Amino acid sequence: MDKFLDSLKGRPVDASIDYLVSLLKRRQIQGSESCALATAHILLQVVARDKWSDVNQLLERVQTVGRKLVAASPRELTIGNVVRRILGLIRDEAQEDRNDANNDGSSDVLPEPPHSAPLKLDSPPGKPIRPTMASALGSLTRTQSMFNILADPDVAPSFLLDGTPAASSGASTPLAHGLATNASALRSEVLDGIEEIMDEIKQVDDQLCGYSDIVIHPGDYVLVHKPSRTVQRFLTRSKRRFTVLVVTDPATVTAEDPYAILRKSLAANGSTLINVMNTGLMAYMTRVNKVILSARAITATGGITVDAGAAAVARAARASGRTVIVLGGVYKLSPDTQANQDLATEWGDPSRYVNFSDGAMVNNVRVKNAVSEYVPAELIDTYITNLGAHSRDHLHSIITDHYKDAEVSLDLYGKIRK
Amino acid sequence: MSSGKGGKGKKPAKAAGGGAEDKREDVLQAVVIADSFQTRFTPFSSEKPRCLLPLANTPLIEYTLEFLAMNGVQEVYIYAATHQEQIESYIRQSRWTTLSRSCPFSSLEFIRVSDARSIGDFLRDLDSRSIIEGDFVLVHGDLVANVPLDGALAAHRARREANRDSIMTLVLREGGEGEHQSKVNAITPVFAVDPRAKRCLHFEEMHPLQADQHLILDPDLLKERELEIRSDLIDAQIDICTPDVLAQWSESFDYELPRAQFLHGVLKDYELNGKMIHTEIVHEGYSARATNLQMFEAISRDVLGGWAYPFAPDTNLVKGYTYQRWDDNVFREDDVLFGTDCDLADVVVGRDTRIGDETTIRNSFIGRNCRIGSNVQIRDSFIWDDATIEDGAVVEHSIIAEFANIGKNSTVARGSLIASGVHVGDNITLAPSTILSLISAEGTSVPTDTSLLGPQGKGAMFKDPDWEELDEDDPYRLQKSLIYSLDGYDLEDSDVSTLASEDEFEDSDDEQFLSAASKEDRSRMNSFASDDSTRGSSTFHYEATHGILEVLRGESGGDFGSEKLEFMSLRLANNASDEAVRRAIATAFVRRAVELANIENGGFDANKAAKTTLTQRAGAKEFITEVGVGGGSVPEQIEFAIAVQKACVSNARVLEVPRAGTLCAALFQHMYDEEILEEEGILGWWGDNRSSEGDSMAGVRERCQVLVTWLEEAEEEDSDEEESEDDE
Repeated sequence: MDKFLDSLKGRPVDASIDYLVSLLKRRQIQGSESCALATAHILLQVVARDKWSDVNQLLERVQTVGRKLVAASPRELTIGNVVRRILGLIRDEAQEDRNDANNDGSSDVLPEPPHSAPLKLDSPPGKPIRPTMASALGSLTRTQSMFNILADPDVAPSFLLDGTPAASSGASTPLAHGLATNASALRSEVLDGIEEIMDEIKQVDDQLCGYSDIVIHPGDYVLVHKPSRTVQRFLTRSKRRFTVLVVTDPATVTAEDPYAILRKSLAANGSTLINVMNTGLMAYMTRVNKVILSARAITATGGITVDAGAAAVARAARASGRTVIVLGGVYKLSPDTQANQDLATEWGDPSRYVNFSDGAMVNNVRVKNAVSEYVPAELIDTYITNLGAHSRDHLHSIITDHYKDAEVSLDLYGKIRK
Repeated sequence: MSSGKGGKGKKPAKAAGGGAEDKREDVLQAVVIADSFQTRFTPFSSEKPRCLLPLANTPLIEYTLEFLAMNGVQEVYIYAATHQEQIESYIRQSRWTTLSRSCPFSSLEFIRVSDARSIGDFLRDLDSRSIIEGDFVLVHGDLVANVPLDGALAAHRARREANRDSIMTLVLREGGEGEHQSKVNAITPVFAVDPRAKRCLHFEEMHPLQADQHLILDPDLLKERELEIRSDLIDAQIDICTPDVLAQWSESFDYELPRAQFLHGVLKDYELNGKMIHTEIVHEGYSARATNLQMFEAISRDVLGGWAYPFAPDTNLVKGYTYQRWDDNVFREDDVLFGTDCDLADVVVGRDTRIGDETTIRNSFIGRNCRIGSNVQIRDSFIWDDATIEDGAVVEHSIIAEFANIGKNSTVARGSLIASGVHVGDNITLAPSTILSLISAEGTSVPTDTSLLGPQGKGAMFKDPDWEELDEDDPYRLQKSLIYSLDGYDLEDSDVSTLASEDEFEDSDDEQFLSAASKEDRSRMNSFASDDSTRGSSTFHYEATHGILEVLRGESGGDFGSEKLEFMSLRLANNASDEAVRRAIATAFVRRAVELANIENGGFDANKAAKTTLTQRAGAKEFITEVGVGGGSVPEQIEFAIAVQKACVSNARVLEVPRAGTLCAALFQHMYDEEILEEEGILGWWGDNRSSEGDSMAGVRERCQVLVTWLEEAEEEDSDEEESEDDE
């Protein structure tokens, strides 16, 4: 990851993109946070260094790059999320600039509020603002989604096919005209926006930690599965005294305790850490108050992709009626739904469980090792993002807050043919 | 934004600056040998180079280059001989060409060697180009690996820093003791390794057909504190080399095979040259070479089974590939059409392929744009692009190449290889292990054998002429077919398993090794040379040189009388030419002189070294005169002088050119003194054009100027002159 960031400076943008694609393919960059940050970095380069003269061109370019990245690692939903966020950001900025132009010329049919007016008053009721963007962009306005679709024909090819070319071309002409002059202003605005997104991604852990005292009560028994850095920080931030049960795979058990650091920092608070084999999971479940899982990605329906093994934990918790809490930044929340659960599973290198030297096993047994797997929504009780705790039904409104309709309907996973 | 961004921009820039410095220090170079000089993939390789054959629908070289890119290699040199244009044009169109912005390498060059006949020729050519500046990775174009090399590279560099003579690190993968599909069948590499220093002490290849199923070690090896003899290693021939390796190749101009000859030879010559080779045995990751069809199949299965992760079909290494993984381990690209009630499991299917109704496919690889009819049964097979399998056909454990056509209700039995373009008519049943091709081994098209393939058929049985020439006990015979089998070979059970006997080796308290005299050791070299078809001169040279060297060193206790007998019989047995004889003798004597001149052995000066070499052992003079020079006529003397000069030149790697020249002059001087060479001989040599060919030859020759001048000026010996010669 660091190597990748270093290499960004010296190379042409296209080379960097291809480099990132191969890093993703080789899984040398993996994990949702790294993927999301890498995507943001590369798109930052695209916006900053590519030549583009109007928004449509830029949007198309970002989409092309986005599709490549998504294809390289289709199971990392966060890549698609960041691409969509940035597309939405560009559209917003363009919209804003266009509003300027429109206000000056006052020729547009659409009623537009003055851009300098306070945001909340102008927003139509029922259309919530985008919380993180709001701070960044000041005078952001949302317009009807239909307008977006028509204004940017390249974004949603399906709409174009519906037979509205005349309308879209009509709409895009003034857009392009208005932006030619503002391209550099737009560029810097968008770059700021991307920096914001990156900051948001980096701050997620800290923000999540803020909720740890609300979630964890004194004397709780909290069960975690292969705690990610996020979960570890979440646990150590809590000032309460509680017990953590860590579920581990037999395959990963080594002489030294992999969670020694976590154990130490928990001990500083008077909490204890107990390693539990995943085979004995059910026996401990009666004792457990809540299960905390860290999501790799959260789909629109509320299902999550997690490190392999967590689905069994979630099922066990459901069977015993324990609370399952999922941690994950908003950037992990994807407007996509995983239609096929099998496709959400990434199969990795079986040699973690069976030594490759074991010829008899390699020759005759098909060993499958899942790296990530899918936990259906009904096994999960609460989602905690950097914005707070949400129920499953509430996820949808977060998605509409963060993604524009055009992006939600955007198919980044389509056939990639170049 | 400016302040935030400025601060940000600074830091990575600094880091990048540091990175650039490192880069200049060690740009990691890699050499890919894209030609194997073997014919184990015939009939497929007669049209397409091995490295472009589709393994899990991806050309093999993609894996190799990806492996290099993964490990941060920056400069790649590709050596290819046969089908070079194909490889070049493939690379030019792929993302690896340096013209493409996505190429991870800073340079990728093809090197043509017009008359290369072996891998050795490639590496000697590479040496003469002096484009290799530092450590480089030597791999073959059929490598599939995901082993991270960082550790091995770091260890190699540390060793090289500590001792300039550690020239090479072999990256080996543990393969376990049992049978393993990804181990090379038939030929078992045996490594003797010092587990602490990781130094490789001995290397040998064993195969079930060889007569004597044991390994002979130099008794000196057993003086080491610890010694592991391992035959469980998967050797994918990933070598991290210093440029010195190339020098070794150049020095031994008869080496052809990187393992059986080069590795074995360098390890054997450890006492002579002091070059050390280390091993890095990795326990994780995947590495294997598709050296033959059996390995090709095994690696395909490993890729399908996820062992080579992240190299799975759905990694889509090549741009434009769109494999996705579906249920039952089926990888398929876009636009694949399945009929109703198809039953697929563990299958890779390429784009635009159509599969008919009620077809069953198991454990197979189907290329792009294939047509597979209804009610077809395909098991354990490889169907390459654009092939057609018509309704009701059955394909079992076979390879069907591009554009081949299997007619209705035909059966392709186990082990069959169907080359591209072959048509098998309807209702034909092929016998197991049938090999069909449109062209013969010589590259001419063959008339269709309609009795075999039916009226619509195209193609005929493929016969490999080399096949007939092979020795009965050549392991190559075992590697030829798709299915490994020892049936039909007369073997004792205990012989087959080299692994079972491995324990014996370690337990047998050295008796076996010690009892085996070093003479026998030399005769064992036969098993190596037979690996390639060019047995003969190289074997002779090697054995003869070593025989003489042992006498010169006084190791074997023999004298030149018996050595002469042995030498002559060796010569007759190998039908060696006079030239080869001269070369062997000259090489042996020069090596001994070099050995003596080296610091470890007392650091004699050139004159003394030459004198000791020629006079220390009784009979040396006679031996050279009779065997080396021959009848003693002037032309023969000239020939021998040239051979000595050449031997000195090849040793110029160990010494420097001037020192080698001095040594050469001293040798001539003493040969003159001993009346081996006459004045006419030396002067004739001086006048011969061949003595001044090339820089180093001329450099060595230059040093003999004084000697020649002296010979020209004075007929009688002059002790003053001789002393001035010494000073020189």
